[in-house]
Parts: sequence; structure tokens; C-alpha cells
Amino acid sequence: MRIPVIQKIIAILWPSFLMAGVATVLFFTAFDPALILAHTAFADVPRLGAYTVGFFLFWLLTASSCLLTCYFQRPCDRAPGAS
Amino acid sequence: MNKPESTAPRPANRDAGADEGMYAKHQKVYPREVHGVFAFWRSTGVLVLLGLYYGLPWLRWDGRQAVLLDLPERKFHIFALTFWPQDFFYLALILIVAALTLFFFTALAGRLWCGYACPQTVWTEVFLRIERLVEGDRARQMKLADAPWGARKLLIKATKQTLWLVFAAYTGLTFVGYFTPILEVARGLVDFSLGPWESFWIAFYSLATYGNAGFLREQVCIYMCPYARFQSAMFDKNTLIISYDQARGEPRGSRKRGDDHRAKGLGHCIDCTLCVQVCPTGIDIRQGLQYQCIGCAACIDVCDQVMDKMGYPKGLVRYTTENALLGKAVRILRPRVLFYAALLLAMVGGLGYALATRLPLELDVIRDRNALFRETDGGLIENVYTLKILNMDDRPHRYRLTVEGINNLQLRMHRDQIDVPAGEVMELPVRLQVDPGELSARSNKIAFTLQDRDDPTLTVTEDARFLGPAPGTR
Repeated sequence: MRIPVIQKIIAILWPSFLMAGVATVLFFTAFDPALILAHTAFADVPRLGAYTVGFFLFWLLTASSCLLTCYFQRPCDRAPGAS
Repeated sequence: MNKPESTAPRPANRDAGADEGMYAKHQKVYPREVHGVFAFWRSTGVLVLLGLYYGLPWLRWDGRQAVLLDLPERKFHIFALTFWPQDFFYLALILIVAALTLFFFTALAGRLWCGYACPQTVWTEVFLRIERLVEGDRARQMKLADAPWGARKLLIKATKQTLWLVFAAYTGLTFVGYFTPILEVARGLVDFSLGPWESFWIAFYSLATYGNAGFLREQVCIYMCPYARFQSAMFDKNTLIISYDQARGEPRGSRKRGDDHRAKGLGHCIDCTLCVQVCPTGIDIRQGLQYQCIGCAACIDVCDQVMDKMGYPKGLVRYTTENALLGKAVRILRPRVLFYAALLLAMVGGLGYALATRLPLELDVIRDRNALFRETDGGLIENVYTLKILNMDDRPHRYRLTVEGINNLQLRMHRDQIDVPAGEVMELPVRLQVDPGELSARSNKIAFTLQDRDDPTLTVTEDARFLGPAPGTR
């Protein structure tokens, strides 16, 4: 059965979006970005900016994982070594 | 439709292959407008929920925004309550209560959430109404879609898109207004002083609204909604679902009004396909329970009108249960429902208790890491600590600090009063001194107690260790 392209795109972007949201909430509940960034070059970044960048980094990470899952899910036509 | 498992995907009533490709190629569903009892309740739900969403951020409480999940300040204000990151536990409890509520209502009455309260349904409804306002009814919309591009079509489509975008933009603004004070956001928009991050999230949320409610629509329910996939686990034969009464309706077929359908060998379904035309997800309810069905009851409303016109009893498509359709007794209070209800009550009770007994005060004790202990000139053993005092209340407090665990333990600090302003953290260095003769071990358990000067119920105690030389080494 063929899977519509839109479903494939959603399968990568959507679950990763949800999990990036969860990760962002958990991470920034435990760690205050203002304290983490205080002694770095990014000390001027406001909290809202840190949350935003953090969220998109998490999304990049989770989306990569979803992408790999989708990639490895493709059927293997031939087993390695089979003629 | 036999077991909950039978909610597995079935082909919807669309051309085969219509789903292939991006939504550009996806065959658009043009839901026909419908009136009736359930349409009324859905409209009411939409109005109430949208009113709440757009109105709540403007509500004031005690000189501040009543509901403000202030991310920049890391404090959540919900009416009289203020939550700190340390209160994450309450957020988790609230989420569990929300999930259990969803389970309870799903077991009782199927997809009530999807049809009446889900944001996807609510905003799609608004976008559909704007579309109907600009383009006309279903037939006109389809005609316009088929018409060649010209000045008139361009004007109509541009008007619709503009209205959609304006509405979406206001939705985005309101969304950001829950996380940063909405007055500042509105002011920032007027004089172009809005911060880049706020602007970004307004744009992001606006585009998400526009895409989900304007274009993706039912595809969100089909491809993106996790609840649509696992809800069948909460269904049983006594769950209220929208069903076509096959025994009554079949064999379907067209006829003239006043024809004796029994003579023609027909059931009550006149095969007018109105139930398919009103369906926002484009399915045919007569094929049985399908996971695409969001339970909006539009097909019930439209079919009841047809039954009225034909002089047949209403309810050919209706809210019913599988057991009722099979002529068996329907049990509303069954173990599954009672179990969800009991769990829900317990969690709500727990949340209420936790909130009622929540202390707006927290104490952290951090030992000085540089020295384990030191000996004063007077021969006393001294340990140094930093106390972090969080006043999570909306008013200032004056506290009294005591310590116990070792006899004659003396508390020394550089101030006489511990005054912490509303919503602030105080770091308080303290020194503890004791005669070495009082120590019975290298490491002794002690406890700091912080108490409000006026309100003795506002008390927190935090354990710590007091280190000294091994007993007998002196």
C-alpha cells in the first residue's frame, strides 16, 4: 500500500515537533537560560530568544531522528549477500 | 462495525488515488452547510471557546493580566495563583487530569472532543464560514474552483485569503499574548517596537493556523492526530457513536415522495448523498464506523431533515451504541466508565488538595564547598551555608530562621531581619557554630526551619549536614 507524500512529510515533521515541544518545556523548566548563558558570548540573548533557539535545535534533533527512522523503514529489496 | 478493532481504516468515499501527492493534488472537501440541533451546539461551542481564547488574555486580576504564562519572567500567573518552575509537579497533574477527562468522555460518548471542542474543528469552522461568506455555498465554491482564472475569480480568492490571513494574524497575536503581556504586544505592534522573538512567534502561530484551518483541515485529523488513532482502545459496544441504521436504511434507493418504499423493496435511505456532502472529512457514514469520522453529527442533522421531508421517523443516522443497534440492552455505567470516573475524581481531588495546601515558600540549603569546616579563634567548629529563600507569594514576607539537630548550635548571619519581597529569591549566607564537645560524629544531621513571623502555618524545613572533626581526636 502506498503512503501519500503528505503523510510521509507529516510523519517526519509532526512527531518531532511534538517531542521538541516536550523537550523544550522539560529542559527549560530545569535550567534557566539566563543562568546558562550568563557567562557566554550570548549573555544578551533574552529568555524568549533562548527558548526559541532551544526549541528549534530540539526540533532539528528530533526531526533528524524521524527522518532516519523513515529512511530505514524503506523495504530492503535484497538481503545483503543474496544473489 | 462489530468490535472496536473494526475502526481500522476503510477507504473513504473519495476517488481512488485522490489522496496521493501533496495537498495541492489532494481532492478538496467542500462541506455543505448544515442546520439542526447538533449544528447549533457546535456553533455554540465554537463561539464560547473562541470567546474564551480571544478574551482571556485581556482579563485583568489584581493589576496584572489574569492568565499570563510569563515565559520571559519564568512565572505562570493564573488568576490568584502564581506558579514557579519549581511547581512543575502541578503542571504534570493538570495534564494528567486533562488526559483522564478526555478518556472519560470518549468512553462515555465517543469523539465529543473532536466534533465540538478540538481547536482544529473550531478554527476550521471559522475558516469555512469565511470561505462561505466570500465564495458562497458549496455549489458556488465548486463552480468557482472549476472556473478559469479571471479578474472575478482572482478578486474573490484574494478577498478570502486576505480575510483568512487577518484572522490568522489576530489568532497569532492572541497566542503570544498568553506568554508575554498582551498589552505590551499590542502596543509594540502599533508603534513597531515589538521584539524580534515575539514577532517571530506571532508569524509562526499565524501561519500554523492558516495552514491547518485553511488548507490541511481534515488531513490534520487523519494524519496528524494521535488521538484519532488510539481512541478505538477506549471504545466498547456501549460507547455512544454516530451510526447509520443499516437494518432500517437498506436497501437504499431513490424514490418519489409518497411512493410506498416497501412495495419497491426499499429501506428508508433515499440515497440522496447529503450525509456525504455535509461531512467535513468527506466520508460516507453508511459504510460504518471509520476513523476519519470526527463525530461532528452534521450527517445526523441533514438526514433528520430529509427524513422529515419524506415523512419517515428521524434517526436513520443517529447517536447510538453498537449494542442498541443490535437490539441489546445499553449499559452506561459500566466498569470502564466507572474506572475512568474514579481515577478522574481521585486526580482532581489530589490536585485540589495539593493546590490548597501549597506553600508559597521554598528553602534550599547549599553547603559551602570550599571548606568542610573550620575552627574559630574561640575553639568552636564552624560550617558555612548559603540559604536560598523563595517567596513565591504575591506579597512580601518576613521570616524567622531556626536550626536544630545539635545541642547549643549557634546561628550567625549578617542581618537581623529576613525580609523577602513578593516573588523574589533571597540568597542568605549563614554560619553555624558549636562546641566540638557537642558533636557525636563527623557528619551530623541538622534541620533549618523557616517560618513566617505572622503566619505560623507558613513553615518549611530543610535538612542539611554539619561536619566536624572525628569525636575524640581532640
